[in-house]
Amino acid sequence: MTTDLETIGMLRDSAARYADDNYSFHQRWAVLEQPEGYSRQAWSDFAEFGFLALRLPEDDGGLDADAVAIGAVMEIAGSRLLMEPLLASAIVGTGLLLKQGSAAQKAALLPALADGSLVLVLADDDEAGPCVIDGNRITGAKLGVLHGDIAGKFLVSAIDAASGAAVVALVDADAAGLSRHNYKLVDGRGAATLRLDGAVAERLQPESGQPAAAALADIRDEATVALCAETLGIVRSLVHTTNEYLKVRKQFGKFIGSNQALQHRMVDCLLLQEEVRALTAAAQQALAGPAEGRVRIVSGARAYIVTAARQVANEAIQMHGGVGVTDEVDVSHYFRRLMVIAALFGNRDAHFARFVDAALTA
Amino acid sequence: MSEQLRARAETLRQEVRDFYATVMPAELRDKAHRHQVLSKEDYVGWMHLLDKQGWSVAHWPEALGGKGWSPLERFAFEDELARLGCPWVIPFGVKYVGPVIYAFGTDAQKQRFLPGIKTTEEFWAQGYSEPGAGSDLAGLRTMALKDGDHYVVNGQKVWTTYAQWADWLFCLVRTDRDDKPQTGISFLLIDMKSPGVTVKPIRTMDGFAHVNEVWLEDVKVPAENLIGEEGKGWTYAKFLLKNERTAGAIVGWAWHVLDRLKKHARETRVNGVALIDQPLMRNRIGEYELRFMALELAAYQAVTAMVDGTENGSEASLIKLRGTELYQEVMETLVEALGHAGVAFDTEALHSAGLPPLGPDDTGGILKDHFYNRAATIFGGSSEIQRNIVAKVVLGL
Repeated sequence: MTTDLETIGMLRDSAARYADDNYSFHQRWAVLEQPEGYSRQAWSDFAEFGFLALRLPEDDGGLDADAVAIGAVMEIAGSRLLMEPLLASAIVGTGLLLKQGSAAQKAALLPALADGSLVLVLADDDEAGPCVIDGNRITGAKLGVLHGDIAGKFLVSAIDAASGAAVVALVDADAAGLSRHNYKLVDGRGAATLRLDGAVAERLQPESGQPAAAALADIRDEATVALCAETLGIVRSLVHTTNEYLKVRKQFGKFIGSNQALQHRMVDCLLLQEEVRALTAAAQQALAGPAEGRVRIVSGARAYIVTAARQVANEAIQMHGGVGVTDEVDVSHYFRRLMVIAALFGNRDAHFARFVDAALTA
Repeated sequence: MSEQLRARAETLRQEVRDFYATVMPAELRDKAHRHQVLSKEDYVGWMHLLDKQGWSVAHWPEALGGKGWSPLERFAFEDELARLGCPWVIPFGVKYVGPVIYAFGTDAQKQRFLPGIKTTEEFWAQGYSEPGAGSDLAGLRTMALKDGDHYVVNGQKVWTTYAQWADWLFCLVRTDRDDKPQTGISFLLIDMKSPGVTVKPIRTMDGFAHVNEVWLEDVKVPAENLIGEEGKGWTYAKFLLKNERTAGAIVGWAWHVLDRLKKHARETRVNGVALIDQPLMRNRIGEYELRFMALELAAYQAVTAMVDGTENGSEASLIKLRGTELYQEVMETLVEALGHAGVAFDTEALHSAGLPPLGPDDTGGILKDHFYNRAATIFGGSSEIQRNIVAKVVLGL
């Protein structure tokens, strides 16, 4: 599964062109005002471009996209601050269904995922303790489910009441016994807290027999790498915007970029950007490689990138001055998006600890 | 610095703690504890409380209703309030323009303005920064041209905190087109109700509009509202900025947020282990503790120099630089440690008794403060300007 360069270039160009025409920072204001925190129009446009079928097999009209191809789209999602559930549904939800769904389950859901009529979101985090599934009834809570407010169905990670084994369960958003509390995140996207009280669930049952624990580990790594690419897009935008600002903003009769102190800090931001780019590419390659070496690179990349991006965002605000903390400039929106990214699929410390374990275990 | 003064400062700290526990109304204490957004009424009520305690202008001379507090007492007072998480002591009247008026104003100006400043009967805002004059304050362009017994003011101010509530604006204006940047500046008091004054809110990251643009279009200001002499505004502004940069509260804010982080890390378990016992977090909090110790000791050293009159001009910059850096980093860690709650934000809940979508009941306030104080290294003299000051006045560079 290696996407050819031509396809990757096409994906990148079409995403960038679409954003140029339809998703400028000013056009995005209307999206931020939507109660559901995303644009339905953009979502159906993405379906037309095939972005929602990125991961589908070619036989099902998809691209069978690899991490590099997914990264090309995620980088634009970051640089243009797209609000739609590309990561949550098209990459993670769809990706996990492809790994763990039975042929019948896939046949039932993939068409609706590809045409955008279904948003399928993984509810995975165990901050509130693991969910437990007993037969076809699931109980527990999931906090901070990104786009959980607009999802039509959920994939809920749980443990089997009898065996203690990991299970991925499909739960309808309107299932009896499921209640959700919706709210907005700091970046304007929606999320939900799910309370499951014996909610009816359907276990995913792959013909391959792949254990759910392995599939969940894979999808978390894939999500982590996609977040690295999204962050790269943000970092590149922040570096570009701030660099331009240093060339036009004047104080004390000269451009602020003529101050050596700022020049050096801007250089450091550029170095961080290049490291983020290299680490993202390495993490994408690692996903295709053997499982043994993967954790060190994927979690190492993620831990480094979270910190690097935070430093770049802090510098971007600092060098923009007061303007940088206003709602009117993109810098403050990137800052908030990075906060959310840092809280998804394991925080910096969790990935750093994972990296250290992998790196120091000979 | 005498033992007597040290003892007085310690007594004052205890008085502030007692005041917080017994005098401050429960409702305000709860809002403060949760770092909720305060209304003008809340703030005015708060300033009235401080005035009743004799604290609103205690740093003023006794003849003017103050207590003639030393720098140590000022520091202890601001530090203790901040540690308790009390509302901001709004400085524009009592700390900024008040001292300018009593140091450089006429008797008539003192009689007219000082009583209202002491009691916050009149609410003040600061008209300093402009779109082209931020760090480079002397680059300001707002013009005030003399026309008989008044000035006609035209220009635009920006980042004007609470201009939407203000009765008065103290304003740096240019009264001479031809002079060098710093010599043509004058210090003018402008009635916000004057025709031609327009306030436009600026929305910041936290979703609120604490700051504003203030547009001044052919605003007539009586000549008697000029402070001191025409063209000497820069001298008065520097005097005021020195007060702005005493920066006592930042040490207390850093303490407060570090204390909050420790509390959260003790109460939160991840994979069965308290966050504070997890090596990465424990190490990080330990580093913050160490940096706080250095900050606090450096602050006392600086205040001692101010009391003894041996300061070299770098003291306030040092406290602000180290204090704001530490504050911001601790806050980042706290927000991250809040997990999902640290990225869920409901601005409505900050106005009422409503609860945040997730997390402890002060989560929304923590996030608001995190966003607001991202500008702590920018406002009141950016970190870059603070370093320039130290480079110039101490290092001679």
